Amino acid sequence: MSSIRLRLLKWLVGPILVCNLGAAALTYMLAWTPAQLAFDDGLRAAAGALAGRVRAEGLGVLADGRAPDDAAGEAGWAALHDGAGRLLAGSAALPPPVTRNGQAGAERGRDTPLRDAQLHGEAVRIAVAPSIWQGAPATVSVARTVRARQGVHAAIVRSLVLLEGVFSLALAGLVWFSVGNGLAPLARLRARLDARGSADLAPLDDAQMPRELVPVVDAFNALLGRIDAGARAQDEFRANVAHQLRTPLAGLKLQLEWLAARHAADPDSARSLALMLQANERLIRQTNQLLSLERAEPNRFARARLQPLDLAALVADSIQHFVEQAAARDIDLGFELDAAPIEGDRFLLRDLVDNLVDNALRYTPLGGRVTVSCGAGSGDGSFLRVEDNGPGIPAQLRSQVFERFVRLDQQTTGSGLGLAIVRDIANLHGAELGLGEPDEGSGAVFTVRFP
Amino acid sequence: MHILLVEDDAVLADGLNRTLQAQGMQVEIARDGLQADALLQRHSPIAIVIVLDIGLPGIDGFEVVRRLRARGDATPVLLLTARDAVEDRVRGLETGADDYLVKPFATPELVARIRALARRNAPKSALLALGNIVLDSSARRARVGERPLELSVREWAVLEYLLQHAGRVVSKQQIVDAIAPWGEDLTLNAVEVYVSRLRLKLDGAGVALRTIRGFGYLLEAAA
Repeated sequence: MSSIRLRLLKWLVGPILVCNLGAAALTYMLAWTPAQLAFDDGLRAAAGALAGRVRAEGLGVLADGRAPDDAAGEAGWAALHDGAGRLLAGSAALPPPVTRNGQAGAERGRDTPLRDAQLHGEAVRIAVAPSIWQGAPATVSVARTVRARQGVHAAIVRSLVLLEGVFSLALAGLVWFSVGNGLAPLARLRARLDARGSADLAPLDDAQMPRELVPVVDAFNALLGRIDAGARAQDEFRANVAHQLRTPLAGLKLQLEWLAARHAADPDSARSLALMLQANERLIRQTNQLLSLERAEPNRFARARLQPLDLAALVADSIQHFVEQAAARDIDLGFELDAAPIEGDRFLLRDLVDNLVDNALRYTPLGGRVTVSCGAGSGDGSFLRVEDNGPGIPAQLRSQVFERFVRLDQQTTGSGLGLAIVRDIANLHGAELGLGEPDEGSGAVFTVRFP
Repeated sequence: MHILLVEDDAVLADGLNRTLQAQGMQVEIARDGLQADALLQRHSPIAIVIVLDIGLPGIDGFEVVRRLRARGDATPVLLLTARDAVEDRVRGLETGADDYLVKPFATPELVARIRALARRNAPKSALLALGNIVLDSSARRARVGERPLELSVREWAVLEYLLQHAGRVVSKQQIVDAIAPWGEDLTLNAVEVYVSRLRLKLDGAGVALRTIRGFGYLLEAAA
């Protein structure tokens, strides 16, 4: 993965460092060259003065082979060579001056070249000055150690390294900070995207976006728009499916009921019609369950639809339907409804209640007993409980019953979706779904505990 | 009892027509929103309850209700919807409909809701009847078949409420709220006492007064 920050740093810090290096080289030259020239002038002057003294005072001046000490306390050596480079007086360690066209020291004054050499194990710089000995041209060489120069050189280099180091670090830090600052809108954009709910497909506001990010935000908004349109199309499709399936099912149901009433006296017709009505009921139920399963999809869950509700009121809303269903199977259906305040999606929770009670009424044997209770638990949140006195569910099968299309009782007509819907909706609400057995006798107890 | 039924699905409209006629209602059918709107404009009030599908060709059910209410017509409207989209339910009631039912519905539920809406605008003096019971509210006389029924004031009130909600489960609290509306001291236990007395008096009246354990009662014609 490439990083904009690293790219920017590479392309900013690299060139800056190269420029710094160039500036350092220039500074070095500007500082070192004049110092070098000053030292060289001193040396050249010393050589010139010595040449004058040799002319005036004779070879005695060079008797010990030493040049007079200079102010900086550098050690010095001196020698006199004839035109052919033969040593006439002074230190034998000094190399003869370089000859050019057989003429040593023909050059004069400032043009006299200076050389670097090693003498007595120490770096020296040698200056030469033309002189005359016994009427023939001769050359005075003066060598002097370069300790002071080295000291100055070291000081210049040290200062430059220090200065450039600090400078480069400061620039790199500044660049790092500026790049971070420049990339801050990206971080803010990311934070805004992170803070969004999964169902929030509203376009991003590009009002405070930097100009460079606006095309990105626009492209992103276009993508969101397409996703939103897709989700809407899916909603529309679902609504259409619901309409296309439910309306004919409702019509069929009424027609069959009318026919059943008309042919109640004819046992064969009545039996056939009762079967058709059963099939019709199953179709209706499965259509409803598929639709509520789809409605309970986590990515369709909108926190905005959560509202304060009372479970007792929700159960009461569906009671008519439950009572009729219970009567059809001669089940004693009872309620213990206490106020049970929760936060939830009214329509999803109605699906939850419907499916949980329907499950109990469906799987409890004829003449059984089902009790629906709710209330605010001691200390913790509200609960909904549906208890029956049927055969119950063996402990080892309890984890399976909430899976889709799992039906433990193959005799009963169920879709195997009811409890999966209950589980999905409980999960969406952060509720805990439990399955146990009653304190006394057989049966199953489903409990939904809300946070 | 005149009902205007607005439904575009022929099979369902025919089924509803027969079902409601079997309940003694006279049904007028409109096939789409514009036809319904025209009918409602020409003869008002054409019906005492309008049963209106939402998904209609032309103008939809919401628009029919909106126009109806805009004309100041307060005829009760029961919306039928095949879509259970949350917005549909809420919007239907906000537009001015009185009740809604999601297709496919249980037939007794539909009939009970239509009757409840019809009663909303009906004069209070109507005779209430179920099985062999006849309750004449204006004359304050009740009888089972030919036998006069002696009822205390409270028993009368409870029976009247149950008859008004025949076929519907009513909670004890609803009964308390209905018969003691001014916060008189009436406990749920007292309601149980009245109901058990009523049950004795209604023996052989061709009705079943069922107890919904822990909740309330359901009065219906005996099977």
